Amino acid sequence: MLLIPCPFCGKRNESEFIYGGPVGADRPDPNAATDQEWVEYLTVMPNPLGPVQENWWHARGCGDWFTIWRDTRTHDIVEAPDGTK
Amino acid sequence: MSYDVTFQRCGISALFDLKGAVDAVEAWVGDALPDFPDRPNYRTGKDGKELFFIGRDHWLARAPLEQEVALEARLKPTDCPVDISIVRVSDTTTFFRVTGPDAGEILAIACPLDLHDSMFDAEAVTYTEVFGLKALVMRCKDGIEFGVEQSFADMIEEYLSRATA
Amino acid sequence: MAQSNRRAAGGRIDRNQPLRFTFNGNSYEGFEGDTLASALLANGVRVTARSFKYHRPRGIMGHGPEEPATLVELDGEDASGNRPATTVPLREGLNARSVNCWPSPEFDLGGVNQLFARFIPAGFYYKTFKWPNWHLFEPSIRMAAGLAAAPFKPPSKGHFEARYAHAEVLIAGAGPAGLKAALDAARAGKRVFLADEGTEAGGSLLNRNLTISGRPAMDWVADAVAELHGMQNVTHLQNATVWAYREHNLLIVNERAPEQGSILERSWRVRAAEVVLATGATERAMVFGGNDRPGVMLASSVQAYVNRWAVNVGTRVALFTNNNSAYAVAADLAAAGIIVTAILDSREHIPKEALDLVPGLPVHPATVAAGMFGHKRVRAVLAAPLSGGASKWIKCDVLAHSGGWNPTVHLWSQSRSTLQFDEDLAAFVPDQAVQPCRAVGAAAGDLTLDRIIDGGEDSAYGIEPLWRVDVPGQRGKAFLDIQNDVTVSDVHLALREGYDNVEHVKRYTTGGMGIDQGKTGNINIIGTVALQKGLPLQEVGTTTFRSPYTPVSFGAIGGLREGWGLFPYRHTPVTQWNKDNGAVMYEAGARWRRPGYFPKSGEGLQDAVSRECRAVREGVSVYDGSPLGTFELKGRDVPRFLDFIYSNIMSNLKPGEGRYGLMLSEDGLILDDGVAFRLDEHRWLISTSTGHADAVNQHMEKLLQTEFPDWQVMITTVTSQWNNATICGPKAREVMQALDTDIDLSPQSFPFMSFREGAVAGLPARVVRVSFTGELSFEINVAPRHMAELWDKVMEAGAPFEILPVGSESSHVLRVEKGFLSLGHEVDGTVDAYDLGMGWVMSKKKSDYLGKRSIELRRSGGGKRHELVGILPVDPNQKIPEGAPLTPGGRKEATEGLVTACVWSVVNDHWVGLALLENGHARQGETAHVRLKKNVIPVTVTKPVFHDPEGKLLRS
Repeated sequence: MLLIPCPFCGKRNESEFIYGGPVGADRPDPNAATDQEWVEYLTVMPNPLGPVQENWWHARGCGDWFTIWRDTRTHDIVEAPDGTK
Repeated sequence: MSYDVTFQRCGISALFDLKGAVDAVEAWVGDALPDFPDRPNYRTGKDGKELFFIGRDHWLARAPLEQEVALEARLKPTDCPVDISIVRVSDTTTFFRVTGPDAGEILAIACPLDLHDSMFDAEAVTYTEVFGLKALVMRCKDGIEFGVEQSFADMIEEYLSRATA
Repeated sequence: MAQSNRRAAGGRIDRNQPLRFTFNGNSYEGFEGDTLASALLANGVRVTARSFKYHRPRGIMGHGPEEPATLVELDGEDASGNRPATTVPLREGLNARSVNCWPSPEFDLGGVNQLFARFIPAGFYYKTFKWPNWHLFEPSIRMAAGLAAAPFKPPSKGHFEARYAHAEVLIAGAGPAGLKAALDAARAGKRVFLADEGTEAGGSLLNRNLTISGRPAMDWVADAVAELHGMQNVTHLQNATVWAYREHNLLIVNERAPEQGSILERSWRVRAAEVVLATGATERAMVFGGNDRPGVMLASSVQAYVNRWAVNVGTRVALFTNNNSAYAVAADLAAAGIIVTAILDSREHIPKEALDLVPGLPVHPATVAAGMFGHKRVRAVLAAPLSGGASKWIKCDVLAHSGGWNPTVHLWSQSRSTLQFDEDLAAFVPDQAVQPCRAVGAAAGDLTLDRIIDGGEDSAYGIEPLWRVDVPGQRGKAFLDIQNDVTVSDVHLALREGYDNVEHVKRYTTGGMGIDQGKTGNINIIGTVALQKGLPLQEVGTTTFRSPYTPVSFGAIGGLREGWGLFPYRHTPVTQWNKDNGAVMYEAGARWRRPGYFPKSGEGLQDAVSRECRAVREGVSVYDGSPLGTFELKGRDVPRFLDFIYSNIMSNLKPGEGRYGLMLSEDGLILDDGVAFRLDEHRWLISTSTGHADAVNQHMEKLLQTEFPDWQVMITTVTSQWNNATICGPKAREVMQALDTDIDLSPQSFPFMSFREGAVAGLPARVVRVSFTGELSFEINVAPRHMAELWDKVMEAGAPFEILPVGSESSHVLRVEKGFLSLGHEVDGTVDAYDLGMGWVMSKKKSDYLGKRSIELRRSGGGKRHELVGILPVDPNQKIPEGAPLTPGGRKEATEGLVTACVWSVVNDHWVGLALLENGHARQGETAHVRLKKNVIPVTVTKPVFHDPEGKLLRS
């Protein structure tokens, strides 16, 4: 059970949050992207052994969506969102 | 009884959800509400009304239910400018009070947040988890008050009964 | 004779409180303060268990959680399984039995396995029972090789509790080091959480006769406990095992039998700023032939039984050691009047400080135990000189052995902190901490009291490791893991067969698994591997330490969440009315409890549902639609946001108008269907299906906060601000008029898909004309505080029209008749709007919306699609199970679709269904075939609508 730093509420128990997946590439212009580019945007997600930027939603809290950098080997939160207390 | 507590289902309050940039919201509500809290997850109060700062650009105004009509007339949810949102949400939330010497014990069962005096003082208010649900938690006289989504209120009452059995 | 082995005086037991208990059907007596194990030993019960695989007779070997041999099941108030007898506090009426024997450990039929022992080495089951497949053999093997089953009944009274706690310092273990750390932190004003697995504080001091500054060490313990109890900032638990160390300094504690009402066990999830591990050390076994025989016990346990529980486990005790600690044991035994027949020490040079403890006792240097005589109780030990001289039998009724001490590093390792092998201690000790934690006392390798407490008096520790006895003429099996019956030869076999990583050795032999997790034997397995491979132990390494440190009841983990509390549930203000009026209640999405149908007395499901459907089609009904997800949206960018998340255009709606729409996810899947209304210029209301309300909320907030932070859209969830009663059926308008409303109900001024505010039955209401049944419908939304009143007034106003309350079963029938889709039935991850015949909902004008590009991409490949069709069984009375496959001609071939729904249609007097069928749109009029296990059902393919295809009724 992680202790996740919410930029509004401070550190809170993981059970208050919903995981929103790793932060992927920016959405390409769907009318300009090639099929290959579009498929990669949809399907290729960062999955490193080490720090990864991921989205979390403070669903049972203030409702903020924010990102943290979490080390997948240790669960260490190596970089908290801006403005975290 | 395992614990020296009583709990009470208090029902609903007048509750208004306010969103938008703080300056815009403040300008619209004028003196209809207490001063805006300057710290996240804190509350202010005036004349029985309270204002909770519970999210980014997000407040809840609470008042006794009998003040609902008057407060709505002041806040004018349907007339407010496009860049702020005011919605009456009084019915969405059922409040409970757990009071007595062991109130903290019951909340320790229900809630993962550290509600120790040194961490959560009398002016604090926040959304957190109570019995697995999103809940608005704050202190009250001799204990803790929390509000949960109204449709879960029967379940919460049953949980409180079991926790104090 | 009752308690024949109980000493006349001493011990931390209350002789004024005798307790009767039952073990394997026999009655015994012990005292308050006993464990089940100490009471059994006091009563001279030698054989207490049969082993896991070979069913060898076993006795009690340890005195705490390290006990490998004697596991028991408890009944009644204590109902639980696989409890080491050494950790079960005795109480009046306790009823225990051994887990792995039948009919009793003294006479066990499974003992026949011993005769075949050499045919069932490690891996035997893997190799032998693989054809035709393991699952054929598994049940009977599981029964024979057993641990306890889950208790047949839950504990007969009481309940479990799980709770959270927060601490500045959490201390695991209330031995000398833990108490000292607790005092230091508490005196500094920190919030301290001290938990200890024993029934009382003191740790190893409870078992020994040590002094601190000349006073009995237990007096120091009593003072420390009293001081801690006087402090507000300290939570001190006994009977509470810290069993898991998780990320971000979350530790989980299992507290047994807290003195609090009817609570059986309590689970604490403690978040600590700092953790101090004062978990002590665990004595390890010696590995030699016959080391599992009843009467072969850990030396520290023999000492604990004499000192703490006043039990003489034997009258003539021999000891076997490789370290100094056994000499203090021998000294305590001699002082207690027990004959010490020999001290076998594998070391050639025995330190003077050890010898000084045992003046006059027969010490045999450079000598090992090489076999035990006696089957159900030991009678002699075979003493073998390492120099190769003649072995000789030495009489004893207990052999106390000590292979040295392991710092108890389980929690340390669970925290991912590292270990290193300490050559002086011949043990793995804590190295680098990776979370805010530190180890103290024996857990850190400080094994004697003088190193822990100022003034503590203890003799120095010294060891020369002996991982296993390896002398010619050794007799009997030498066990590395007593609980799993793993011998030295099993480990050698695993190494020969190529399983040479210590983790592989563990899996192949099962050594170190099970209830005790190899607390006494793992190190010897590592040592045996190291010897065989010629590697230092540091390089062999340990297996991963995992939680739980000791067994934990599932009940304690679940806490209050049992029975009704397993899943949350939600009520509407009408739930009670529904129950009072005979509704069969269902869970219908997002945890709402809703009426399925309202059977009259003696009426079955189908008849009740058909009656309700007829009311909707021919008369009028009312349905509690409160659970529909609803959201109010406000802000400059709502129109473009709705155009982006719905596949059709919403931005051109005028105030008071609404439109049905589909929400797609970016990969083109259907996320939800619902309705959007424009309340006024800037305020919008959208509704979602009940089950997807939370998912849609998450979806919208994520888009707004992560993709389009500049868009001004403010969303407020109002699902529970508005409840609704939906009046539906040809007579709905008449009921609305009877309810008295100031809203003009004529179809011209209040058309389908529009929204009006006004008063209904004297209550402020929002009335919406939507229809999920195909009939004229008015959805009356009121505040929940008014819902019960509205419902009563609807029933009253509807009475002359014979209004019926209807449930979700008839809603399902009615939507199938209309071909309205239901997520989870017609919609899965393969279906798009075109397949459903809903191409009209996919905007051609918008250059972009969520899912557009993905659907275009998917359809650009051509290929056959499974498309939504209606199906009519050729036999009108033939029901088809939902989910049934369609195959070409009904032959045993790959499916060409499936039946998504099939209901009895009262308007058609016919079973009707919906199906996803390959190229279905082009196949209307054809016959398709549903293939079931036993028969094939021919069906006619139709359009997916069986009632009012033009939609005149719902617009009426």
